[in-house]
Amino acid sequence: MTKTIIIDPVTRIEGHSKITIHLDDQGDVVDAQFHVTQFRGFERIVQGRPVHEMPSIMARICGICPVSHLIASSKACDQILAVEPPPTGADLRRVMNLAQIVQSNALSFFHLSSPDLLFGFDADPAHRNIIGVARSNPQLARDGVGIRRFGQQIIEWLGGKRIHPSWIVPGGVDAPLLEETRDRILSTIPEAIAAIERALAWYKSSILQWADEAASFGDFRSAYMGLVDDDGNVDHYGGSLRVMDADGNLLADRIDPTTYTDYLGEAVEPWTYLKSTYWKALGYPDGVYRVGPLARVIVADQMGTQRADAELEEFRQRLGRVPSSSFHYHYARLIDALYAAERIEELLRGPDILLPRVRSFAGINSNEGIGVSEAPRGTLLHHYRVDSDGIVEWANLVIATGHNNLAMNRSVLQVAKRYVKSAQLTEPMLNRVEAVIRCYDPCLSCSTHALGEMALHVQLLSPSGAVLDELVR
Amino acid sequence: MTEHVVVVGYGNVLRCDDGVGRHAAERLVDDPRMDGVEVLQRHQLTPELALDISAASLVVLIDASSRLGPGEVRVDRVEPAVDDGPSGSHHLTPATLVALSHALYGRAADVFVVSCGVQSLEVGEHLSPVVDAALPRLVDAVTGLVESRARLRPCPKSEQGAETSDGPPGMRAARSEPNT
Repeated sequence: MTKTIIIDPVTRIEGHSKITIHLDDQGDVVDAQFHVTQFRGFERIVQGRPVHEMPSIMARICGICPVSHLIASSKACDQILAVEPPPTGADLRRVMNLAQIVQSNALSFFHLSSPDLLFGFDADPAHRNIIGVARSNPQLARDGVGIRRFGQQIIEWLGGKRIHPSWIVPGGVDAPLLEETRDRILSTIPEAIAAIERALAWYKSSILQWADEAASFGDFRSAYMGLVDDDGNVDHYGGSLRVMDADGNLLADRIDPTTYTDYLGEAVEPWTYLKSTYWKALGYPDGVYRVGPLARVIVADQMGTQRADAELEEFRQRLGRVPSSSFHYHYARLIDALYAAERIEELLRGPDILLPRVRSFAGINSNEGIGVSEAPRGTLLHHYRVDSDGIVEWANLVIATGHNNLAMNRSVLQVAKRYVKSAQLTEPMLNRVEAVIRCYDPCLSCSTHALGEMALHVQLLSPSGAVLDELVR
Repeated sequence: MTEHVVVVGYGNVLRCDDGVGRHAAERLVDDPRMDGVEVLQRHQLTPELALDISAASLVVLIDASSRLGPGEVRVDRVEPAVDDGPSGSHHLTPATLVALSHALYGRAADVFVVSCGVQSLEVGEHLSPVVDAALPRLVDAVTGLVESRARLRPCPKSEQGAETSDGPPGMRAARSEPNT
């Protein structure tokens, strides 16, 4: 008799989802699926809205990474206006985007994943949380709080508020940077860098403890995709797309992001609201590729800043040029944050960063626009079509979690096959299934305000739907 | 020690009365009774606020509550959570936040939650009439806490750790209960 294990909802991720694990008659795992169970519909909601409203509407998709949607949306609007932001405006957009990379990576690493890393995946869930981390390793917890606050403060100082700032607009940014704000941000950078480097040192000193997880948490060959600049450095704001295969060969390089439909396909499945994006040349579902911090540090020739480059060199010495396990997203997330902090300093010390010209103005000059950025979780694309009055007729969003959907499903199946050996439900088994999803830090849009508590509810069901076993925490 | 008072209004302003704490915070920013007080607005309580709680002498949180009658205002003193808190999401209860402040920085401010009962949590940016009418009382409850704190003389060492306030006169006061 076939059985199904359902993990619903999955905890410590951004949004709502569940996991089903299908067993055969012998109790062995035969399939596993990651279901995104919330429906948003932003691509339809915006139809009929004036294009200048798009950045602020799209930022509402998410309460964790609204800046990424602001940037991708504003860049799509730039194309519709047929304008380039003034260089200072573009650099200020970069600063805010990088600040968001720092705060979001800190949230993922310190608040969501460090309890597993510090206490182990078999630890009591009652202590495996941020308070437990604070009591066991207060320096690690203080650094997590400090790094996230660093990124949030920059966003607030630039945009007026931490979540859903409206400072980034089509054509650039809404107001120039004040000298006082620049100096305030610069004064916080040394401690942020020191805190990230302490976290990196702790992670590297502990990495051997997680060898078993690293070998089974999404450890498979796949391609990786991310933005790089003309010199092959990581680029979170502009540049072109690069895709690298599992052997380090370039499948594609210098792809103009506006031609993404030539390379990327989008598939839908009846069991999830999350689209699966795939590499067209390999077809669906074989065209698996990964995006996000791990992909960024893999596809780039180098990061482009001194400290992050040194860390990347060590990363590659330890793990090789193209690591195959998604467990290493955690390591890459810290290097990504280090780069972001260094790059913010470089940008703020630029000679033109205080110039008053930060926005270009124009009317509707094109009926189509495509914007791209590197969000904390990976490459983000916004694609709009408007009528001659600038009213949105059609929109398509390709989000990082969609790029990673095929990889996440493959990872869940791999972990389930490794750790789920019978119909007996155990906390460590369940947490490993959840933890492999957390490696990708999927963002299923947490801007939906949840009422009540999100508990972990697992059911073992017979084909007839009868509950054979149940576990709640 | 110099008084450092922080007020945090939090909630979702896109869900009607859930955002009442932030509406109150907006009023408090320009309130002359709050001179020298740091007023913050947040969607939810996150671990980063532990820094503010550790550095302040008094913190007043303003929240919506589904446990109170619509428009009812209540003041609760927050004690640190005795358990280890949630299973690990990125938002915290007031009690967990105070516990986190103690764990990370070895101290925490006196923390109060001033709550207002909600009537509507539907999608919308407006307050329900009954909650809107309660907003002045909610604001007064916060300023009352701040002003009563300012009137207190410095506490002798032998009395430190004792409860210093149960809230302003005329307001219901109690130990903390979870809010929305």
